[in-house]
Amino acid sequence: MSETWRAPAGGRIDRSRTVSFSFDGRTYRGHPGDTLASALMANGQRLLGRSFKYHRPRGLYTAGPEEPNALVELRSGARREPNVPATMIELFDGLDARSQNRWPSLGLDIGAVNGLVARFLPAGFYYKTFMWPPTFWEKVYEPIIRRAAGLGRPAASPDPDHYEHMHAHCDVLVVGSGPAGLAATRAAGASGARAILADHDFELGGGLLAEPAHEAWRAAMLGALAAMPEVRLLPRTSVFGYYEGNVLGALERVSDHLPMPPAHAVRQRYWVIRAREVVLATGAYERLIAFPENDQPGVMLASAALTYARRFAVRPGSRAVLYANNDMAYATLAALREAGIGIAGVVDPRTTSPAAEAARRAGIDVLARAEVVGVTGARAVEGVRVRRADAPQPVTLDADLLCVSGGHNPAVQLASMTRARPTWDEALAAFVPGIPVQNERSAGAARGVFGIAAAAADGLRAGSEAAARAGFKAAAAFAVPEAGPGTETRVHPLWQVRAPGKAFVDLQHDATADDIRLAHWEGYAHVEHAKRYTTHAMATDQGKIGGLVGAAVLAEARGEAVEKVGLPTFRPYVHGITWGAIAGREVGRHFKHVRRTPLHPWHEQAGAVFLETGLWLRPLYYTKSAETGWEPILREARAVRERVGLCDVSTLGKIDVQGPDAAAFLDRLYTNTFSMLPVGRARYGLMLREDGIVLDDGTTSRIGPERFLMTTTTARAADVLEHMEKCHQTVWPELDVQFCSVTDHWAQMSVAGPKARAVLAGCVTGLDLANAAFPFMAVGEGAIGTAPVRLYRVSFSGELAYEVATPARFAGDVWSAILEAGKPHGIVPYGLEALGLLRIEKGHVAGPELNGQTTARDLGLEKMLKRRGDYIGRVLAERPGLNDPDRPRLVGIRALSGDFERRLRGGAHIVARAGATESLGWVTSVTRSVELDRWIGLAMVRGGAARAGERLVASYPLEGEEVEVEITSPHHVDPENARVKA
Amino acid sequence: MSKPDQPAAGARISIVERRLALAEVSVRRGKEAALAAAARNAFGAEPPEPGHALLQGAVTTVWIRPGGWLITEPQTTEGALASRLERALSGLAAIVDQSHGKACLRIAGSAAREMLAKGCRVDLHPRAFGPGRAAVTPVAHIHAVLVQIDAAPTFDVIAGSTLAESLYDWLAASAAEYGFRRIRSE
Repeated sequence: MSETWRAPAGGRIDRSRTVSFSFDGRTYRGHPGDTLASALMANGQRLLGRSFKYHRPRGLYTAGPEEPNALVELRSGARREPNVPATMIELFDGLDARSQNRWPSLGLDIGAVNGLVARFLPAGFYYKTFMWPPTFWEKVYEPIIRRAAGLGRPAASPDPDHYEHMHAHCDVLVVGSGPAGLAATRAAGASGARAILADHDFELGGGLLAEPAHEAWRAAMLGALAAMPEVRLLPRTSVFGYYEGNVLGALERVSDHLPMPPAHAVRQRYWVIRAREVVLATGAYERLIAFPENDQPGVMLASAALTYARRFAVRPGSRAVLYANNDMAYATLAALREAGIGIAGVVDPRTTSPAAEAARRAGIDVLARAEVVGVTGARAVEGVRVRRADAPQPVTLDADLLCVSGGHNPAVQLASMTRARPTWDEALAAFVPGIPVQNERSAGAARGVFGIAAAAADGLRAGSEAAARAGFKAAAAFAVPEAGPGTETRVHPLWQVRAPGKAFVDLQHDATADDIRLAHWEGYAHVEHAKRYTTHAMATDQGKIGGLVGAAVLAEARGEAVEKVGLPTFRPYVHGITWGAIAGREVGRHFKHVRRTPLHPWHEQAGAVFLETGLWLRPLYYTKSAETGWEPILREARAVRERVGLCDVSTLGKIDVQGPDAAAFLDRLYTNTFSMLPVGRARYGLMLREDGIVLDDGTTSRIGPERFLMTTTTARAADVLEHMEKCHQTVWPELDVQFCSVTDHWAQMSVAGPKARAVLAGCVTGLDLANAAFPFMAVGEGAIGTAPVRLYRVSFSGELAYEVATPARFAGDVWSAILEAGKPHGIVPYGLEALGLLRIEKGHVAGPELNGQTTARDLGLEKMLKRRGDYIGRVLAERPGLNDPDRPRLVGIRALSGDFERRLRGGAHIVARAGATESLGWVTSVTRSVELDRWIGLAMVRGGAARAGERLVASYPLEGEEVEVEITSPHHVDPENARVKA
Repeated sequence: MSKPDQPAAGARISIVERRLALAEVSVRRGKEAALAAAARNAFGAEPPEPGHALLQGAVTTVWIRPGGWLITEPQTTEGALASRLERALSGLAAIVDQSHGKACLRIAGSAAREMLAKGCRVDLHPRAFGPGRAAVTPVAHIHAVLVQIDAAPTFDVIAGSTLAESLYDWLAASAAEYGFRRIRSE
C-alpha cells in the first residue's frame, strides 16, 4: 500500500528516509518520526482491532498512551509483546505487528456474533450466568471464559532480551515535557538543582510537537537543558507510579524502537526515582462523549485528529465533523483545513461561543444546540446523524471523520497516588489535583492551566518553587511564549446522548452507559462497585478518556452531582508495563545469588551432584560413572561407618562471641550452661524462641576465657544472629559482649569414622590427638602443612569424628592433605545425603524435627533445660499445652521388612494398624540404613518412648502405601555413645 | 544476560579483585573514648563517624555499625593485622579476623556510578557522596560495605567471600554495556 493519506508537506517525520514495516502480514511504508498508528493511518488502514466483548471493529481513537482500541501484538516469536498501543510504538524498519482478538481475520471476525446477542451479555453477565450447576465451573465455564478473555497473546518461550533496574536520585523530578514540563525543568536546572525530565514520548515537547509555531522555543529549551550537566533527560520513559517518601517508578523503553537491542543493551529499564521535589506536568486527556456508535472507526478525539494532522502530516479522514462542548477543541478545525480536510460542520450543544462565532466567520457551518445521535456506515463512519434541539428529525452530515471532545481531564493519576484527593473544577467539569500531601505540585494542563503560554508560565513557577523547596536559589529567567488571544476554557458539561444504540463509556472493555445504569439498578451504586461490576475503567488504559463519563452516568442514575460520586481510586500503574521490566535482572540463573563454599571447585571436579539449600550449593553426593540411585549414598555412608569419610560442612553458621559478659550472654541464650565450660572444650547447646519452641541447636566452644565460637545449623545461621542482635540491643544492652558472623572466614570439614584419628594423626602437627589428651568434645589448634587449623572433636554421624576448621583460602590445601593422609585408610568424600543418612541412624535432630513446632521435651532434650537461671523461652515453655503428655514426641522407627521396595516416606502418618485413619503422629526423616539394612526413620508420635517395641504402621495414603514399623529409640546406632568417645 | 567475558569495547569500568587483610573491631561497653584515644595514639587518627571511612594510605577504616569498624589493608602475613590490632586495642575492643570471610571488589571508571545504581540505592552523586564516604547497604541484594576511595570515581565493594563470585557475575553483567576490564587480583 502507499501513503495516500499523507499530506504532501509538514509534520515531524523524516521524509528523506523510508522505513518498511508489516501489519497482519502486509507490508507498508512509513517514515522515521512516525508511530505505528500514524504510519497505518497514512496507509489508509482504519480498522486496527476488534473490541474485547462484542468484537466490534475499532480504529484509532487517540494519538497517545490513553489509546483504548488500537492495541497490537508487537514483534514475533519469543519477543512477542501483547496489548501495546499502536500510538506508543515508534516506527522502525522491519517492525512486525499484528491485530488482536479476532479470528480468523481482522476483517472477518466470528466473535462479532457476540454483538448480535449483546442483549444477553450485559454487565455482570459472567457472575449471573456461570453460577449453576456448580460442577460446570471447572469443566465447561472456565475453559470458555479463558478462551474468550484477554486480548493479545504473550510470547510462549523465554524472552531473549535483558531488563534491568536503575536507582536515581534528584532534587526535582519533572514528569511530562510539554511547555510546562520544559519550563519547570529549565527553571530547576538553572538554579543548579539536579533535575530529571521524563516523558513517555520518543520526542520531548508534549503538545508542542503539534505546534509548529512554537518549534523555535521548544528547540531553544531543549538546547538549554542539554547544556546543563545536572539535568538528565529521559525520553521514552513513562512514570507509572507515585509512592510514599517521594519515590516514583518509571519504565524506560530503551530498545523498543529497534528490532533487537544492541549488544549488552537492555530492552527496558525500570527506574526507581527518589526525588526531593516533583513537578507533575502530565497534561490532560481529552474525554469522549457517550453517544450511540461512538466507537465506530472514524470517530476519534479532536486532539488526536489535530496531532495526526500537524505532527505526523496524516489526514485522518477526507471530510470531518467536529462534535465539541468546549472552545479548545475548535483548534482542530484549523489543523484539519491545513491538511486539506474538508469540514462538514461543527455540532455544539451550546447556543454559541467565541470559537463557534470565529468558525462561522471562517465559513464553517456550526450547528448550535445540537447533538450527535449516531453514525452511519457498516464498518467505518460514512455519515454523522445530528439532532438539533429545534428539529426532532435528525439530519445526516456526509463525513468519514468525527472528531469528538467532551472536555479535558487533567492527568491527576500520579498526584492522586500521593493521597492528595482531587478536587472538582466547576469551569472545566473535571477533577484537578488536590492539596499536595507529598513534596509535589502540578503544572500546566495537569492542573487545568491550558494554552502553551499559560502552561509554560505555570511550569516556570512550579519549577522555581520546587527548586527553592529543595534548597536552590532561582537563577536567570528565560522567555516563555507570549500569550496570544485567549481561548475560553469553560466547558459545557455534556456526558451522554440519550438515543437508541450502544453508547460506550469504556471502549477497551466494551462498557456502555446502559451497563453503568444496570449496575446502579442492581445495587452497585458506589463508583468502586460499579467499576468492578462493569469492568469500566479497569482495562489497560484505566479509563483515561471515559472514566469520568462513566462516573457522570452513574451520578445521573443516583441523582447526584459527578463530584459527589467521584472517580475510583487511582493506583499504579498509570500505563501498562512489562513483567520483564519488573523482574529486571533477577531471572534465570540470576534469579537468586549462589553461595559457594571455599571447596566448591574441588567438589565440581570430583563429580559432585549439587543441591541448592537456601542460597548455598552443597554437594549431595559424588558419583562414579556406573552408580545409580542410592548406590553412591550408601557407598559413602558405609565408608564412614567402616573406615573414614570427609565432608564439607563449611555452610554451618559460625559466630564469634567475645567480651567479659560473653559467657553470661550465652547462658541466657541457651537452655544449658556455658559459663562453666572450660577453655578448650565444646558443648552441644539448645536455643529456644521466646515462645518456648526450639529455635536452633549446635555446638559452641570456648576458645578463650572471654571468647566463644558458636555454630548454628546452616539454615538458621541468619535467624540466630538476628535473634542475638535483638536480645543484646533490646533486652540486655548492659551486657559487655561483642559478636559477629565468621561463617565465611572459616572453611570447615568433618573427618568421621573409626579411622578418623589415624588419618588426622598423619597430617596434623602441633596437637596431640591421643584420646586422653584430646577427648570427645575437646577443641585445640594445630596446623596441616602451612595452614593453621582448629580441631573440634564433635560428631554428627555417631562415629569417632573431628571437625577441622581453617581460614577459607587454605581450604583446598587442607582438604587435599586430609585426603592424602586418608588414602591408606580408604578415605571417601561424602555429601549431604550420606550426612543425613548417618545423622538419622544416630538419631540427631535436624531441620525436619526443628520445624518451629517442637519443644525440647518433644525432642527428648528436656535434660538440656537447666534448673537454675533464666534463659530465653523458659517461662513460655512451661505453658500447659506445650507440656501435654499426649504431645507427639521423638521416636525412632524401623521397617519390619528388609524389602527396600516397601519404602518409608517423610510426612507419612503413624497409625495403629493397616487401614486405620486415626493419626498417632508423623514421620519426620527417613533413610535407608547401612547399619540395619532396612528403611529407618525418625518420627513424632503420641506416647513417644513409652511405645518402644510397639508395631505400628506408617501410612502414606497419597501413594496408597502402608509399611509396618517398630517404634524404637531415636538412636538406631550406638545408643551408649561409645564410638564417639573411642 | 550478557556474556560477562565479552564486554563492549572501550572499557569505562575496571573491576579488580583485591587480596586484603580485614579485621572487624567492636568496641567494648563504655570504652568508646578510650578506644578513640588508643587509635589516635597507635594509628594517628580516631575511628571514623557513621557513613564515613578513614583512608590512610593503604589502610582503610570503615564505620559499619554503632561501635563497629572494618579495617582493611593489603594482605601480608596471615593474621598480622588482627594481631596488631589486638596489641594496640587490648581490652578496649573485640577484634575478629575477617581476612578470609570478606572479599573486596574495586570498581573504578567513568561509568562506575551508573553501573552501581543498577543495584545500589544509595545516592553516589558527588554532592551526596565522595571519597571517604561509606555505606552499609545491599548491592545487588547482597549485604555489602561500599566505600568511595577517590573521585575517579573508585569504589570498594566488600561482601561475604562465599558470595563474591555471585556478586562478580552481577557486576560483570551490569558493566557489560559500558565495557569493562577484569583484573584477577592486585
